[in-house]
Amino acid sequence: MDSAENLIAELERLGITVWAEADRLRYKAPQGSLTPELKQRLTDNKDRLLTLLSGHLVHEAFFFGPRNQRIFANYHPAAGGGGAVLTVICPPLFSDYMRTHLALRELAMALADRGQHVLRLDYRGTGDSFGDLSEVAISDWVEDITLAVREGREISGSRVVRLLGVRAGALLACKSVGASSDVQRLVLWDPVPDGASYLQVLRGIQVALCERNLYLSRAERSDAMHEYAGYTLSERMVEEFRLLDGSAYSSVPKNTLHVVSTSSKTGFPVPGVPQDVAPFRCDWDTAADELIVPGPVLERLIACLTRS
Amino acid sequence: MSDPVLTEEPLQFGDGGRLFGILTLPSMSHRKAPGLPVFVFLNAGLLHRVGPRRLYVHLARDLSRMGFSSLRVDLAGIGDSPPRPGLTNQQSVAADYDEILRVLESRLARVPLILAGLCSGADNAIRLAPKDSRVVGLVLLDPVCSPDDGFSARAFVSKYTNTARYVAWLKRRFEAPTTQPRGSQEQIDPLTLRDAPTLEQLRDAPLEQLRSAFESIRERDGRVLSVFTQYALQYYNQAGQLARVLGVAGYQQFCTELFWPQAEHTYTLELHRRRLIDAIKTWAGGFIRSRIDVTRNIGTD
Repeated sequence: MDSAENLIAELERLGITVWAEADRLRYKAPQGSLTPELKQRLTDNKDRLLTLLSGHLVHEAFFFGPRNQRIFANYHPAAGGGGAVLTVICPPLFSDYMRTHLALRELAMALADRGQHVLRLDYRGTGDSFGDLSEVAISDWVEDITLAVREGREISGSRVVRLLGVRAGALLACKSVGASSDVQRLVLWDPVPDGASYLQVLRGIQVALCERNLYLSRAERSDAMHEYAGYTLSERMVEEFRLLDGSAYSSVPKNTLHVVSTSSKTGFPVPGVPQDVAPFRCDWDTAADELIVPGPVLERLIACLTRS
Repeated sequence: MSDPVLTEEPLQFGDGGRLFGILTLPSMSHRKAPGLPVFVFLNAGLLHRVGPRRLYVHLARDLSRMGFSSLRVDLAGIGDSPPRPGLTNQQSVAADYDEILRVLESRLARVPLILAGLCSGADNAIRLAPKDSRVVGLVLLDPVCSPDDGFSARAFVSKYTNTARYVAWLKRRFEAPTTQPRGSQEQIDPLTLRDAPTLEQLRDAPLEQLRSAFESIRERDGRVLSVFTQYALQYYNQAGQLARVLGVAGYQQFCTELFWPQAEHTYTLELHRRRLIDAIKTWAGGFIRSRIDVTRNIGTD
């Protein structure tokens, strides 16, 4: 897809000036420079161009990726133009995703204010992306991160890529990066130790959800026990979760990893990785559904992601 | 952007593109009846446009497969839409609604609307419906309602005949507490936008706004679906209670009222989300049938 910023830059190179005037897109172009193809792209991107040119763009949302299962992403351009670093935010899953959406948006804006390009994605079958949980598996999510990095590079023009992985998103981010040298830094917020223990946490939450609900019939209680924290997972996904062990972390070069934990008890499976503790009660392992905006954690994450 | 039967388009709209939403459109082959209303999903509290556990996304896409278009929107101050400084919540919602109407009109022409929302989303739908003649349908998930005469007696019986309550009490009694009480200042109840009324306030609550919303829909030959969960047990505990307290003429002809005490407020369990989606799809099917009837009548006239 066209990034509004890239399109404007391309037009400028051709000597074409575009501007917004009372909700209309205006342009001045040397004779013959505005080809029918360029005109079409201007029309296709009119809304985004108007938003950008009006100076209100804080994010640009779009779909990308496989034609039948498009991935949704929000791109936050670096404030003031330029920006050599792209941070891709790999969100957590299930109720952690809902609980951190606000915090991760704030984080993205703060990073953009500090001159970084940021891309937030929803994995297939989650958020606004296409697909259902029953149709996707871990391997799709790992691929989504690879595609998001590629897309983010293309839009932003950044060469330096950093990833933030949150909870299970940390495991997916590391699995996606592996031994590749494409990613300069991986910051992990409360990473889950491995897929199997994460599944156990989800099962525990399911039990708590069923216990607190005093109005479930016996049949419903029995049906509900097949869910994981309120979601039905395919057998394939459960199996792939079980296979995701701590080696996803150990395969990443240790000097690129940095962990930010909200509790000193977190047992990150790879020794020798720098770890900051920003105490905060996230209640990840409970049936809590409160949104969290943990100021101290966000500050630590910003510091880790912006230091040169 | 697309699957074979629908397309989705992110929209940044309104003054300076401050509002964000996603427009879902059925493909041409799935546009079954002309003039179908468009669903507008209003945020549930502070939860962003996907709704609790992606409820609105599933609804938007399933309804699209039936031929309905929809917009799931982040109102100002929620999700990816920045707040409108200096306005009260109600003023801000009213300003957002004007922008929503404008963008829908520019994309789909002047179309009839169904406002759908959970919790504060239902509250907003109730406030907006009487003022806009385009609104022909409401999906109200846990709307407010006043207790009726039998409410207290039913609550008493239900409380003391629920065996699960005794089991839970015994369990609590013999198990050591393992979790600390919550209450961190940086944990936000996602549904805080609703001004949660007390039982006393509900007893005295003027039902004029609610009644006005229902009457306006009846006058427009529209329909209302209300679904109450266990959250509503503080003020609602029997199917038909809303009909009784409203006393709106012809209620049964245009309203569907469901009481699901098994379901939690945000439909935490997938089995309850599926049931809700099915119920809304069945209810929405009525609009298709009536549009097809209208088209047939025009054809025979």
